[in-house]
Amino acid sequence: MNSSHKTLSEIPVGRFVQIRELLSEPDVCHRLREMGFCENAIVRLVVNGEGNLICEVCNTRVGLNQSIAQDIIVASFE
Amino acid sequence: MNSLKTEIQLRHIAIIGNPNAGKTTLFNALTGMRQKVGNYPGVTVEKKEGRIIFEDGSEAVLLDLPGTYSLTANSPDEKIATDILLGRVDHTPLPELVVCVVDASNLERNLYLISQIIDNRLPAVVALNMFDVAERDGLKIDIQKLSAELGVKVIPTVGSKSLGIEELKAAIAGHVEPSSRSRQWILPAPVQEECDELKGLLQQMHRLSEPIAFHEAIVLLTSPSALSEHNDRFAPGLIEHVKRDHQKLDLLGIDRHSVVVESRYEWIKRVCSAATVSHRRRGMSASDKIDQILTHRVWGFVIFIGLMTIMFQSIFSWANVPMELLGDSFNWVGAQVYAMMPAGDLRDLIVNGAIGGVGAVVTFLPQIIFLFLFIGFLEDTGYMARAAFIMDRMMSKVGLHGKSFIPLLSSFACAIPGIMATRTIESRKDRLVTMLVAPLVSRSARLPVYALMIAAFIPRKTVLGIFSLPGLTLVAMYLLGLTAALSMAWVFKKTLLKSEAPAFIMELPPYKMPSFKSVLLHMWERSILFLKRAGTIILGVSIVLWFLATYPKLERASPSEQLNQSFAGRAGHLIEPIIKPLGFDWKIGIGLIGSILQREVFVSTMGTIYNIKDAKHERGNVSLREHLQQDVDPVSGVPTFTALTAICLMVYYVLAMQCMSTVAVVRRETNGWKWPLFQISYMTALAYSVTFIVYQIGLVLAEG
Repeated sequence: MNSSHKTLSEIPVGRFVQIRELLSEPDVCHRLREMGFCENAIVRLVVNGEGNLICEVCNTRVGLNQSIAQDIIVASFE
Repeated sequence: MNSLKTEIQLRHIAIIGNPNAGKTTLFNALTGMRQKVGNYPGVTVEKKEGRIIFEDGSEAVLLDLPGTYSLTANSPDEKIATDILLGRVDHTPLPELVVCVVDASNLERNLYLISQIIDNRLPAVVALNMFDVAERDGLKIDIQKLSAELGVKVIPTVGSKSLGIEELKAAIAGHVEPSSRSRQWILPAPVQEECDELKGLLQQMHRLSEPIAFHEAIVLLTSPSALSEHNDRFAPGLIEHVKRDHQKLDLLGIDRHSVVVESRYEWIKRVCSAATVSHRRRGMSASDKIDQILTHRVWGFVIFIGLMTIMFQSIFSWANVPMELLGDSFNWVGAQVYAMMPAGDLRDLIVNGAIGGVGAVVTFLPQIIFLFLFIGFLEDTGYMARAAFIMDRMMSKVGLHGKSFIPLLSSFACAIPGIMATRTIESRKDRLVTMLVAPLVSRSARLPVYALMIAAFIPRKTVLGIFSLPGLTLVAMYLLGLTAALSMAWVFKKTLLKSEAPAFIMELPPYKMPSFKSVLLHMWERSILFLKRAGTIILGVSIVLWFLATYPKLERASPSEQLNQSFAGRAGHLIEPIIKPLGFDWKIGIGLIGSILQREVFVSTMGTIYNIKDAKHERGNVSLREHLQQDVDPVSGVPTFTALTAICLMVYYVLAMQCMSTVAVVRRETNGWKWPLFQISYMTALAYSVTFIVYQIGLVLAEG
């Protein structure tokens, strides 16, 4: 993993990032991709709570739990 | 019969789209009130159909498919949409035309589903809905270019304001061809080769059409669970072929699972950059700020509890006036009929059995209306999904998904839509757990029982300056139901239905002003359903109960003795030893037996019993509430009902199943008697033991 890459749960709220890799189970990845979280998609974190977080992808808000967010590898994008 | 005949000849049009794309609003706008709701044979996904009438007077059947993100999805709801568009469902013809509802402000993701529909060569028209929101967000869409890129007609619409509906109708009135463009997205060469080969085999071995064979080939090659799920649908030789293909592609280092989604999104990006110009603002929007508060781990929770409290408080206080009016009118009608008819059994049957029983339940209509009004608003503003988001933390502690919370919350209104709402849950075990505990969450049918008990026995005191004791008691009952539901879910997830806590991925629709029309429509539908039940099941049970409580007739017996010796009285006496430790007497026993069918029957039963009991008195304005307050044991002079009895009765009704319609729905959803029977047993056992504990503790406290 490139050192400039982080997981989605580590980035500050409001920052735009680009998805590099999904590391979840294949069926979870499939679901994520179909909902717009595919490789190279641009994502913005809206809320990062302790348990769950909300991010915006393709102009839609999606709620995720931390364990999924930790499996989404992103790189900064501005 | 005539309508059946024409229905077969009519064109069938399906309407499909992502969740939250405004599909239902468009469906309502296209069909007006000409709708009917049923079920697909074999599965219990709700089938919603409507009639669409075109300008020339011709008609077509419009089928509302469940919202889905793709045609390769996995929840029961999403599967049915796929199956219909592939012509795999019995008794539902392959639609001649598909209206694809696309959220204009969210074009990219919505086009994913459209690309699959175009691939399947289905004649399609795109309704570019919420066009106004996209424009307001700074997204300019060139309709002509988009239409050219997709090869289908694109009609901008704003469902909530009924804009573009006539244009959409005109576009689907005539003959529509499948997309004029061939498949535009490109797979990497090795995948394309395998896909073509497999497609050929499918066409040959299973006689599938080209587009369907292509769809199946893609699913078999790339979907993670395709082989395990679709194994039995294909010839063994074909499955072997697919397995070899998987090995080949894996050796080449191709990520089979992501390749198709990526290729489609590549194409979607090209379409979007050709047809749209975005001037979207970047930074915190108002919705962002609202979300940061409403989904905050502390404030979000506080606000949620606050909203629920306000909801139940207002249900109790606002509904009071119309309820009293309704109650008075039933009394008045009863008195009129009583005065008009000659004395005899028929008069007693009509006044005490029918009017008394049904009236006792219908009086609660205003509360039911308020409850559905609130829930409708919560759903329509977009808050409901946030509630699921907040509750996911709590739900995941008991091993369930935040999504399971929505069925539980809808169960506040009625367990039946609640249980049907579990169809959006992908995991079978989680779905079963949610179904098993959903009836524990208090629903509107219990409201009459609570309302009667609270109004009669909980003093109208003010607590902390703003809350009333009756309102808080009601909130406490709802919290008890919720706590019981969560605890039982935890137990089931640890024992019977062990599985890992599922991944939480859930779309949160944008906040919006609620549409009064759709909230009112929903409220109307549910109220009619409630009245229908009052007019059928409750009326029937009331009459049977009147009979059981009146016969066998005794000579010169007082009404009390008469009731005592009647069939119902004997049944009540029979179970009295069992329910005595819960603080219930034989009259409550009759109510419990009667309400096995439906909880609110308890109230009508009490209405019937007390009317019969006091039949010799002047019929006047003695309400059921007062009857209960004044009822004493003829021997000891001890009141039948005390605050403790009332609380015990409410606790019992929170936890007991007591609803045959729910049992029927669970049986249908689980395809057998095993789970509903288990559900009845565990809920009755739970209700009995908890009520026992509450009563015994209450007795000790009362003595001390």
